[in-house]
Amino acid sequence: MKQGANKKKVAVYTATGCRTCEHAMVDLHYEVNPLTHWAEVVFWPYLLGSAWEDLNGEGRVDVCFFAGAVQTADDQAAAVRLRDKSQILVAVGACAAFGGLPGLANLSPAGPEPEAAPEPSPEMPPLPPLLPKVLALGSVVPVDYVVPGCPPTPPLLWAAFQAVAGLGTAPARLGYAASRLPGPVAEALAAGLLPPRGSVFAGDKAVCASCSRVKEEKLFRRVLRPYQAYEESGRCLLEQGLICQGVATREGCGGLCTAVGVPCRGCFGKPPAIVDPGAKMVAAISSTIDSSDAEEIACLAEDFVDLAGTFYRYLLPSQCLLMATPMTVGKHEDHNP
Amino acid sequence: MSDFEPKIIAFLCNWCSYVAADAAGVSRFLQKPNVRVIRVNCSGMVDPTYVLQAFALGADGVIIGGCWPGDCHYISGNIKAMRRAPLLKKLLSELGIEPARFRLEWIAASEPGPYARIMNEMVDEIRSLGPRREMRATA
Amino acid sequence: MKTITLECLRGLEAPARVAIRRQNGRCQAYLQTTSPRPLAQLCRRRPVEELPRLVTLLSPAHHLAAALALDRLGEVTPPEMAQNMREGLRLALTYRRHLRKLYFLLLAWENPWANGDSLGSRRRSHTFPPRLMDDAWRHLSLAQEAVAILGGRFDHPVTAVAGGVSRFLKEEHYARLAVIAGACRDFALSFSDFLASQVFLWGREEGWLAAELPPLPSLTLSTPEEQFVRRDGRGQEQERFTAAALWEKVGRHQEPWTYEDFAYFREQGWQHLEPTSVDHLFAVGPLPRLNSGTPASAPAAVGEVERLCSVLGPLPRRELAAAYWALLVDLLQAAESMVELYTPEKLTGPTLRHIPAGWGREAQAVVESPAGWLFIQVRVDERGLIEDLQLLDPATANNALCCLVAQQVVAAAAAANLGWQDTKKRLELSLLPL
Repeated sequence: MKQGANKKKVAVYTATGCRTCEHAMVDLHYEVNPLTHWAEVVFWPYLLGSAWEDLNGEGRVDVCFFAGAVQTADDQAAAVRLRDKSQILVAVGACAAFGGLPGLANLSPAGPEPEAAPEPSPEMPPLPPLLPKVLALGSVVPVDYVVPGCPPTPPLLWAAFQAVAGLGTAPARLGYAASRLPGPVAEALAAGLLPPRGSVFAGDKAVCASCSRVKEEKLFRRVLRPYQAYEESGRCLLEQGLICQGVATREGCGGLCTAVGVPCRGCFGKPPAIVDPGAKMVAAISSTIDSSDAEEIACLAEDFVDLAGTFYRYLLPSQCLLMATPMTVGKHEDHNP
Repeated sequence: MSDFEPKIIAFLCNWCSYVAADAAGVSRFLQKPNVRVIRVNCSGMVDPTYVLQAFALGADGVIIGGCWPGDCHYISGNIKAMRRAPLLKKLLSELGIEPARFRLEWIAASEPGPYARIMNEMVDEIRSLGPRREMRATA
Repeated sequence: MKTITLECLRGLEAPARVAIRRQNGRCQAYLQTTSPRPLAQLCRRRPVEELPRLVTLLSPAHHLAAALALDRLGEVTPPEMAQNMREGLRLALTYRRHLRKLYFLLLAWENPWANGDSLGSRRRSHTFPPRLMDDAWRHLSLAQEAVAILGGRFDHPVTAVAGGVSRFLKEEHYARLAVIAGACRDFALSFSDFLASQVFLWGREEGWLAAELPPLPSLTLSTPEEQFVRRDGRGQEQERFTAAALWEKVGRHQEPWTYEDFAYFREQGWQHLEPTSVDHLFAVGPLPRLNSGTPASAPAAVGEVERLCSVLGPLPRRELAAAYWALLVDLLQAAESMVELYTPEKLTGPTLRHIPAGWGREAQAVVESPAGWLFIQVRVDERGLIEDLQLLDPATANNALCCLVAQQVVAAAAAANLGWQDTKKRLELSLLPL
């Protein structure tokens, strides 16, 4: 590993979300060789207490890892500023990539008025105003790479670090990541080149490809809510009547949630072959309904609850055809969110 | 609102409802001009994505026309469409699109009258619903 | 009027900044949470069984509180194995969170990614034992692994479900958990010696861990009976009430300069946020728990409390060193409890969960999370879809304390004529353990 002048300048920032993606990045420091050998972190507020002023004198930042959704005017300003400043901008985590859990706010109208807050007086500092809708990072500025997941899994996060901030050496742990990444990305990774702009650091197929459960025959006779009885291990959850978003979700996590007995909720976003994950789930579930009687079908449909909140749990601001804000077109048109 | 003219997208299956639409035209049934027809081979090939895409691109209403159950040229294509409709309607209504804006109708080739009537009814219904309202996030 | 904004405070979990307004020589500091996370709004109309996964946006411990609320809503009690697994997860989360906080404290001195000593002009007169930071990190990683085994994922856990947990542990997990517990306990013991003698004592003597937190009343949870205990600023018990009565006693208040709510005692009503009038407020978390004399059961933790008292003085304590020390006590308690709990006997059983027959209309639960107690109340409609969600978590409960600490630190820094960089570092140091 080379050191010294070749170190890439790295920035890390979270807008609106939680700190889990940043914790995931810090954990990489331990999991593999210390990042400090080939990365110079010039801006990482959570870890280093960096101030915005620290970015002024630094020249360009080589790679910025941006987590969190864009919900306030400050989030938007931060996104614009970091995009301006950085050679490469990576959206890390479901919030930055798609909008994430905060994006559910776009679906729910606000509830009853809370206890009226006192009027702001002039000596109080202002708060950054909320944007009309929660946005994914890519709707505000062009994004170069995406690492999905809530939070991203260590192998894929490490693959992303290696690809954009590393110096081309490919340690053995990349093997797992590379086996799950689409061909062009894996090849670029192995060769130490930048992957095609717009690449998503995850697989191309659906989660079903990596899920450890046994798939037999898909027939929906009745719908189960996740608190009801089902086999905790063994058979495909969708086949047992649970809504599992794995059918319409990009693989890469290895089927983490289904492996521990809970249905997938789609934090890796939709695979490239699907246009709208909600439509896909409707089609997938409907095609397995075991009935040709209109009344029976309508009755069964009544048992489904909160379709939008389940099919688009992390994806409303960017991957729901009806509610998404379009992605900003970047320098290259092959951006496929 | 008085000059709101809804745009309705109609996916019509080649073997039944499209023929009915054609016959309605030839027979000079009075039809409102708000419907744009897309001919598909079978109602069963209308993926829910097309419906969502139509709404996303600005349609005020979407209707799928298929053969009566038992008459499908591909045996059971229309049954597939029938299976999708309730869930699709539910998803649409959760996304702010009223159930009346989406319909699945059986229209035989020999039913130009019913075709015209259904289309006109739908146009009127959607006109009274008005333009689509935006779902917005509030604090 | 001049405003200085200290943004991006190091180690702060929530998105927040401190805005300082100077007018006529007076300085007023505002700790502003700059982005809301309106869980109640996000969860409305979601199926209630999704609640444990939705609330992890705020913290992993919310997952456990939500699962407990679901148990109550479904009127089921999880089987013993499931309860133990959930408790095991809670302990691993506690260990991880507190070790991370203490690691952040030490990172101020020995930071592989920053240049220089972040405490400004203070000279280090102690050197760290070799590989201490590496060791700390390695055990953080082990705790992370325990979280992944018990929670299903290394963060945003998923395994606590209504009525129990979602899957049995695998054969290899039992041995691994036992190893992890032993290693974490051993490390916690040696780490505590280092912290107590080299860091806390020195910090208190040198002054930068000596500042006293404002004398807020405290509200702690007495677990077997699920009662809240209210004590005044001097540690005297004033009243007890059941968790069910929380909203009668405690209200929420909003200020226009922050997106995070405040909690206060309704009896006194909301007053201004000033260090001189704090009786309507309260603090939660490790330090109030320590001061309440809640008996730690683990010998190592008990011993640590004794050491704290012999160095700092008798309880209750309010200096910053005590706030960090309280994290250490909790760390030891968690580590010892992990050793006791991570055994095949405790974590094996025939049943994963008791399945609810249906849902009631309303339920509440309270759980001791690493940062303090966490109260959750949920109301559903006849289909089990969430109508209303009320959360009182440590972020809200301690908002007033943190704002007052910010005011105090800024005022002291202004009086000592410190530059804004040093002020920021003091703020970070003071807010980190809360």
